[in-house]
Amino acid sequence: MYSAKSPSRSTGLFLTLCAAMLLLAMLSQQPWAAGARGAARSALAPAEEVMTYIAAQVDRVTAVFGDVTTLRAENARLRAADEALRRQIVELNAAAKENADLKAAVKFQKASGHQMVAAQVIGLGPDGFSRTIEIDRGTSDGVQAGMVVVTGAGLLGRVREVGPHSANVQTLADPQSRVNVYLSTSALQGTVSGGPNALQLEVQHTLGAAASTGEWALTSGVGGGYPRGLVVGEIASVTRRDSATTDQAQVAWVNDPSAISFVLVLTDFLPS
Amino acid sequence: MRRAAGALLMAGAALAQVTWAPRFEVGGAFPNLVLLGVVGVTWTLGARAGMAWACIGGLLLDLTSSGAIGPHAVALVAGAYMVGFWARNLENPTAVQVALTAAVTTLVYSAVLVFTAGLLGQPAPVIGVAIQLTLAAAVYNALLMPFAIEVLRRLRSLTRAAEPA
Repeated sequence: MYSAKSPSRSTGLFLTLCAAMLLLAMLSQQPWAAGARGAARSALAPAEEVMTYIAAQVDRVTAVFGDVTTLRAENARLRAADEALRRQIVELNAAAKENADLKAAVKFQKASGHQMVAAQVIGLGPDGFSRTIEIDRGTSDGVQAGMVVVTGAGLLGRVREVGPHSANVQTLADPQSRVNVYLSTSALQGTVSGGPNALQLEVQHTLGAAASTGEWALTSGVGGGYPRGLVVGEIASVTRRDSATTDQAQVAWVNDPSAISFVLVLTDFLPS
Repeated sequence: MRRAAGALLMAGAALAQVTWAPRFEVGGAFPNLVLLGVVGVTWTLGARAGMAWACIGGLLLDLTSSGAIGPHAVALVAGAYMVGFWARNLENPTAVQVALTAAVTTLVYSAVLVFTAGLLGQPAPVIGVAIQLTLAAAVYNALLMPFAIEVLRRLRSLTRAAEPA
């Protein structure tokens, strides 16, 4: 497909680039480089914000087509409805959903008693190995690494890295994420870890008590990583292991990172 | 003109990667648009061009993720180098061969990413999860690769036509 060049020249370039990038990786993760790293990431944040906005607009257009199809099947009278009016309805619905998200967030803020900073999601992690999100608030807004991030529905994750105007949040879906929880009915303790498909819960079972589906998992506060009482999710299924001291369960997480637009950062809680 | 188009393409792919691509998640995997771009560039312009654009695209991905800056660039450069060997020996590749290179590049990319995370002392996913995600991503990227290379071919013809004779 392209004219053959000297393989040794390619190998030379390959080795040079690899060495340079590895050196950059080693230097950039040094504590003294954190400021420069955060500033470089913040520089990309406006572009991510624009792309996220465009993606939201495309979603609205797709929603218009989806709604049109459904309405045609459901009601012949609506076939004559004006296309622009239908688009307006969908846009209003989208705005109402956004308002509902914000209302839930404000309600959560009032009920929890924590001090919070509201932030907009401007990007998601680039690969499947690290389930992270990018938010448009950083050190200039009082956000620090380690702070807990929630939505109106419950716990989302923790700030992993922070720049002046943006921050990277490790969500509970990240395979490296761990959070200690207790179950709402049985009061059993366990640990929720991230995974590609669902959150996994390893829960201790004691004599006469076992985890069951439909129970809610809430942060236990054990270990000081998260404040107690934040909703994580509902137990979707339990796999009992009589020979072991723990059971495995799948947790239906209350949050879907790919559908979240607003989050709240707890600014008055840092892990101990 | 070609370089400007390439820069625009890579920046667009990286930004779409962190904003749009995760919406199309299947089995925990979603398309890696930058990787598809790098494989396509290597097939159409050669290993050296592929590695150069892999470096730029990788750095952009590193800037949108947490941790050190460089691991995605190393992983993509390794992928481009491997595709370069493949492309050198095939004059007219079929869609299946092109798709296969995308799948193998995804495996190389993921392996290098996990290895680099270990080397730098960063958290790495457990092996079972890593294998599951990598295989799903390899299939996903392989399915999209023939379309991606067609887009690149058309872009190449457009930039050639726009260049002064």
